[in-house]
Amino acid sequence: MEVFFQTLVGGLGFGAVYALVAMGFSIVYRTMGLVNFAHGQVVMIGAYAASTFYMSAHLPFFVSIPVAMVVTGIVGLVIERVLRPLENKDFDLMLIGTIGFGMVLEALATIIWGATGHAVPTPVDAEPLDLFGIRVRTYSLVVLGIAALATVALVLFLQRTKRGAAMQAVAMDHEAATAVGIHVGRSNAIAFAIGAGLAALAGALVAPMLYVNPTLGGSLGIKGFAAAILGGFGNIPGAIVGGLAIGVLDSYAAGRFQAYSELVVFLVFTVVIMVRPTGLFGERTVNRA
Amino acid sequence: MKLRIASFGVVAVAAWFLPYQLDLYGIHVMDIAIVFALLAVGLGLAMGVGGQINLAQVAFFGVSAYAVAILTTKAGLGFWTSAVLALLAAALVGIFVGIPALRMQSHYLGIVTLGLALAFTNWVTNSTLTGGADGISGIPVPPVFGIDMSNEYLYYYVELIVFALALGFAGFVASTGLGRRMRAMRDDSLAAGAVGAPVPILRMTAFVLASLYGGVAGVLYAGLIRYVAPETFSIANMFLLLAMVIIGGRQSILGCVVGAIALSLLREALVDFSVYAQLGFGIVVVLMVVFAPTGLAGIPSRLRRVMRRTATGERAVLRPFDPGQADAGDRVGASLEISGISKHFRGLSALADVSMSVAPGEIRGVVGPNGSGKTTLFNIVSGIYSVSSGSASVDGRVVTGRRPHQLSRLGLARTFQNLRLFGQMTVRDNVLVALDRSSMWAVWRYLLWPVGVLRGERDLRARADDLLTRFGLTDFAGAAPRSLPYGIQRRLEIARAMATQPALLLLDEPAAGLNGQEVAQLSEIVRSIRDSGVTVVLIEHNMGLVMSLCDRVTVLASGSVIADGTPAEVAVRPEVIEAYLGDSMNTDEIAAEVESEVAR
Repeated sequence: MEVFFQTLVGGLGFGAVYALVAMGFSIVYRTMGLVNFAHGQVVMIGAYAASTFYMSAHLPFFVSIPVAMVVTGIVGLVIERVLRPLENKDFDLMLIGTIGFGMVLEALATIIWGATGHAVPTPVDAEPLDLFGIRVRTYSLVVLGIAALATVALVLFLQRTKRGAAMQAVAMDHEAATAVGIHVGRSNAIAFAIGAGLAALAGALVAPMLYVNPTLGGSLGIKGFAAAILGGFGNIPGAIVGGLAIGVLDSYAAGRFQAYSELVVFLVFTVVIMVRPTGLFGERTVNRA
Repeated sequence: MKLRIASFGVVAVAAWFLPYQLDLYGIHVMDIAIVFALLAVGLGLAMGVGGQINLAQVAFFGVSAYAVAILTTKAGLGFWTSAVLALLAAALVGIFVGIPALRMQSHYLGIVTLGLALAFTNWVTNSTLTGGADGISGIPVPPVFGIDMSNEYLYYYVELIVFALALGFAGFVASTGLGRRMRAMRDDSLAAGAVGAPVPILRMTAFVLASLYGGVAGVLYAGLIRYVAPETFSIANMFLLLAMVIIGGRQSILGCVVGAIALSLLREALVDFSVYAQLGFGIVVVLMVVFAPTGLAGIPSRLRRVMRRTATGERAVLRPFDPGQADAGDRVGASLEISGISKHFRGLSALADVSMSVAPGEIRGVVGPNGSGKTTLFNIVSGIYSVSSGSASVDGRVVTGRRPHQLSRLGLARTFQNLRLFGQMTVRDNVLVALDRSSMWAVWRYLLWPVGVLRGERDLRARADDLLTRFGLTDFAGAAPRSLPYGIQRRLEIARAMATQPALLLLDEPAAGLNGQEVAQLSEIVRSIRDSGVTVVLIEHNMGLVMSLCDRVTVLASGSVIADGTPAEVAVRPEVIEAYLGDSMNTDEIAAEVESEVAR
């Protein structure tokens, strides 16, 4: 039982990161119907940017995060501008166009930071907490807390601000939104910048838990994407639940099947998604598929 | 066509004499390029022709290469025995990866296939059977009539022959019935099902084809390098393969080959600058997708289109519909019996206990306000929706609970409210898909009796031309449907439905968006269709058309039948008028209006 809870808690830290990645996917998808396969690479750029500011420029960790978010936000705006002709169009092209961008970002990261990568010291080096015999890494708690704050901020933005409401409108019907005077292009750009900002947040937070290298984006992106689909693509609360679920599944698989964890995670994911193709919560607000 | 054969000949001769110009390293690069070209052809068949997102192509490649390695080095089997088993293994994995495609498409399928590819890489990197990260070495040289196949020059010829056969087969599949059905499924899977293409089987076929090409590539690779390791089958290589297919042009088999060869050579040329090569490939992929979505293969036809625009040619005209010799023989059409159908969408009740019966050879109108459940009813009868309760039968055979393609076989055809033509196929191909009534069992002919396939094609083409002439569409046979005016698209959709030789035709708002003259033509067409022995049920808002054309009319409101009878009877019923117009209208005025419509 104790082992059960230990793996559960152990998975939550990564789960929160997957949830942030999944939210980034979802916000872009629900606003403009673009599935951004380069999102994982944006996360990687975010991880590099944050760790560089933190380690080389000696900025405090929690200052380097917003700086990294600005960097990826700009990257996001560039991607959006270039791929704008594909929005709400042929899915194959979108998939391939964003994969192309992923290749570009990965190559750029290798050129700028080198192929080897670096480790990032944890910014919170407090002793692990002991809750009823279960050890909890303090840093995991910090990650969970930040992820929760980001979620609340995003939901408030979407539901309480005029700009957020406009983005919801674009999500439901971009033509009708244009007709009532919403600037769809600008709304999409903002969505993409927010998505990229979330990616940087995820990347910065995951950097001390992983070894930062140019291929970091691949598996984080794919698992985050899987999380988004598991929760119901385009659904924000679904992304959180999906992310935590993938994180916990990952942690179990790593404990139970060691090196084969990835195999197990993706087989389980395939089976779950076969049974419920719309994910746990379904595509509620948008129905584009 | 002659030009095409000639250029094929030139390329073949050039390929045959190529080794004389190359050093040992050059021939090795070419050998690898051919392996990638095979992979690209398989991916092109699945993605470009079949529209199935397949990011597991490297896994098919890997399964087969590893199968050869394991069977030869660990089980001690001969190379060619192992090769056959490896192909089988690849096909089995293809079926396994394809199963999710039955339930999901587009990005869902993308992530699932990518996940499965990752799972494969994860397995081979860790399993002791596959030698872990070190891989397996010591695969024997494939024996070919005592020729020394460790010589890469000679191996090139083996690859070339296999590749030529594989390419020919892919082109054959893509340009005949099977490929046409796959393209129809890619453009619109609902409409493809409605004209009789068995969508689930076609999706699996796309994956099996992709996996077989992956399998052949794997066998050749294992025989060439005689060593397998996980990094060859990595996701990075999957994306490279994807770039090859996109840059070459995914919808053209030859385009895929050109892309694969070009990128393989380029990658080799830039091997010392691999990061910059990746950067370059990525940029080219992005630019291609935005500016030339059809890839290199699409550029000639784009240029041609620009040239044609400047040239002045004769304008294509829509010819009048030719009823032909309406010789129905003893065919009178099918009867349709709908009994007690209800349909709920979650809490919402769209249809509640709807019953109606349509006699053979009748033209039945289904009218009702928007949202009254008319299209839902059609979707149920044509197999797109399942019923919550009740049943429908055509000529006494229960149709509810069957797939659209099975219903098409039973003689049921339909058109769609918002036009569902196969947008990237020509008008002729749209009709050909529907004319093709062959069962999927007939695909054995592709392997064993290709001549039979070609004969069938010739016959189909002749019949397609007849049908296009009958509907006055001959001038547009080679056009893309989307380039045509709306009225012509509507007529094409009816022609396509009639190509399936139905006994019952469902028309969903066939007059929507048509002008007065076109409505009159439509009326004539529908009558002629009925006279040729087809029962017609049509949903329509154009009351003038309904009143003058239909034998009987069923009125739906809020998911229930509120009236059923001849047009004149139904139009004066107070509940119908209330449902349609509110209750303030004067009934007598409408009755008079109806009288005059019927008289006309």
